[in-house]
Amino acid sequence: MAGTALTADIAGRERYRALAFRRIVILVLLTAALCVSVAADMALGPANYEIRQVLLALFNPEVAGNQLRVVIWDIRMPIALMAVTVGAALSVAGAQMQTILSNPLASPFTLGISAAASFGAALALVTGVAVFPAAVQYMVPINAFLMAMLASLFIYFASTMRGVSVETIVLLGIALVFSFNAALSLLEYLASEQALAAVVFWTMGSLTKATWAKVYVTAAVLVVTVPLFMRDAWALTALRLGDDKAASMGVNVRRLRLQTMLTVSLLAAIPVSFVGTIGFIGLVGPHIARMVVGEDQRFFLPGSVICGALLLSATSVVSKMLIPGAILPIGVITAVVSVPFFFALIFSNRRRSW
Amino acid sequence: MHIQFKAAGLSAALLLATVWPALAEKISLKDVTGRDVEVEVPVKHVILGEGRQIYFLAALDKTNPFEHVVGWRDDLPKADPETYRAYLAKYPDIAKLPTFGGMKDGTFDIEQAVTLKPDVILMNVDAKTATEEAGYIEKLAKVGIPLVYVDFREKPMENTEPSMRVMGKLMGKEDVAEDFIKFRADSIKRVTDVLEKEKPKRPVVFVERAGGYSDDCCMSFGNENFGKMVEIAGGINMAKDIIPGTFGTVNPEQVIASNPDQIIITGGKWDAYVPGGKWVGVGYGADLKEARRKLEDLTKRPAFTGVKAVEDGNVHAIWHQFYNNPYQFVAIQEIAKWLHPDLFKDLDPEATFKELHARFLPLDYKPGYFVSLKGE
Repeated sequence: MAGTALTADIAGRERYRALAFRRIVILVLLTAALCVSVAADMALGPANYEIRQVLLALFNPEVAGNQLRVVIWDIRMPIALMAVTVGAALSVAGAQMQTILSNPLASPFTLGISAAASFGAALALVTGVAVFPAAVQYMVPINAFLMAMLASLFIYFASTMRGVSVETIVLLGIALVFSFNAALSLLEYLASEQALAAVVFWTMGSLTKATWAKVYVTAAVLVVTVPLFMRDAWALTALRLGDDKAASMGVNVRRLRLQTMLTVSLLAAIPVSFVGTIGFIGLVGPHIARMVVGEDQRFFLPGSVICGALLLSATSVVSKMLIPGAILPIGVITAVVSVPFFFALIFSNRRRSW
Repeated sequence: MHIQFKAAGLSAALLLATVWPALAEKISLKDVTGRDVEVEVPVKHVILGEGRQIYFLAALDKTNPFEHVVGWRDDLPKADPETYRAYLAKYPDIAKLPTFGGMKDGTFDIEQAVTLKPDVILMNVDAKTATEEAGYIEKLAKVGIPLVYVDFREKPMENTEPSMRVMGKLMGKEDVAEDFIKFRADSIKRVTDVLEKEKPKRPVVFVERAGGYSDDCCMSFGNENFGKMVEIAGGINMAKDIIPGTFGTVNPEQVIASNPDQIIITGGKWDAYVPGGKWVGVGYGADLKEARRKLEDLTKRPAFTGVKAVEDGNVHAIWHQFYNNPYQFVAIQEIAKWLHPDLFKDLDPEATFKELHARFLPLDYKPGYFVSLKGE
């Protein structure tokens, strides 16, 4: 008896190791794909520089000509890196939103965060009203950020109230989405032609707004928040078994949920305020990660980071290559790039991933 | 007694004189969509389905273009606040005109329209689909209100003349309409004739739409609008094969790759929307020194690094509102002068604009619509 238990135990351990190894391999492959995508984003562009020239500008910028240097360092690189950081941030935000709300449809958009950001941006673009009066030249992103945080804080405080369940939070979020969308439509109705065009363009999302400063800020948010999630990895994994089971394992469910919600708000609000609403990444990124590496946060979290970054980076490449010389709105292309991929995964992988 | 009698007679004569040509006469006219519409002319009460139709009416009536307007869409203050303010200062009553809201749907509240009892409703071609979907033409026909389409935005080059003619017929000012049409055609011919004869090399021109309005660089025009104006003025629109529609965004890198000979940035006084923004504030009575400074700042963006136009100082700013304005022939003259300074030494777009105001428009001319880094 003891012998069979032992062999079963050893076999189980073997299987576990094999599974972990396979997941690590998948993560490595995804990372490699991300590197290829970023490299393509850096190498391709209407100026048609040769790879040799791009490498020269990258590693030896003093020698490269002024134009070449500006194209690589000031035009291509901020966009390429912005795609990576924004994709990663939105995907992680979506992943943890889905985890703490136990809802596969949750994303930064479900809780009204991006609708609030759009409204804030439109408020600046249409009426010139700054929610935070300092620094008028950053009025649009600051407005967007403050409205997004306002929405998340509202949800946060609502969920600290007694007797508020996860379902109620989702419903509250959906109510916020509709309220902010209605307010946005009203602003658009009142807007001047010029402002209307700017609002529409903003809500479609665009990586051309990327600057080094924005890249740094988004990266900093990631660097601060991802380790926090890593620390709570096992607790977050346990949460997926259900609140009661997680609580019986010693997880302070309520505190974990609130804490995660705050962090997620920051992760969602910052990129959205910089590049406009880029939908879908926050929903699709984590789902793809879950399908390929499973629910265990130790793999799921880095998986979400890489999947989100990869999707948006690939989107960035497609959006500038589809019509050479033009830049198509990234929000449109995100769906074009990720939907087929997403469908393929859903249909090839019919075991329940949620 | 005697004097009073005389005065009465005089006023009767005056009354007759004013009424006489206005005696309703039913005519049939073809609007720009080719519909035949029966209207009693000259009309006394007009609803402007788009506020900017006042650009036409103003050219027909130098004294009071708003005399017969009983209602209008509220787009003029939104799209062209400077012109609106200028008209408001001269005709304060326009603040009280009933308005129809909404930039997006392009239609109007039919109940409100009917209660204003107009003799005709002028609609823009852009609103055709919305108007027809709502069945407005039939509904209005039942109460005897004809609807006429005009256009100065979808196809300004083709439709400005017929639209002006329709307006002239409606208002009973056909001769003024013809004068305006001739003035416009002559102004454009002064550019196209020279280009046809001399066949100069066509410079590549990058038109940046509303440069500095947002952080993004390089919104531009496809083959229409300013893109087309550049082509008429003897240039090659850089984005014509890049942007499939009228509006779009060009990759900033493309500007470096195409290395345009000339850059034209559209601008306006957008304090109300982007306070302290980097836009170039050209327009009615603008501060050109300030505009020039801001134009120079815009050339320092990455997309313009080492581009020929910037090196040569061939960077110009133009009033954004010319894009949907029947006075855009003045813009064509100015662009032609920028692109081919040698060919158009004697052409004075400023004088053309002045003459337009002096001969046709109720407003006094104020410069400020153009600024260039070239010269001075």
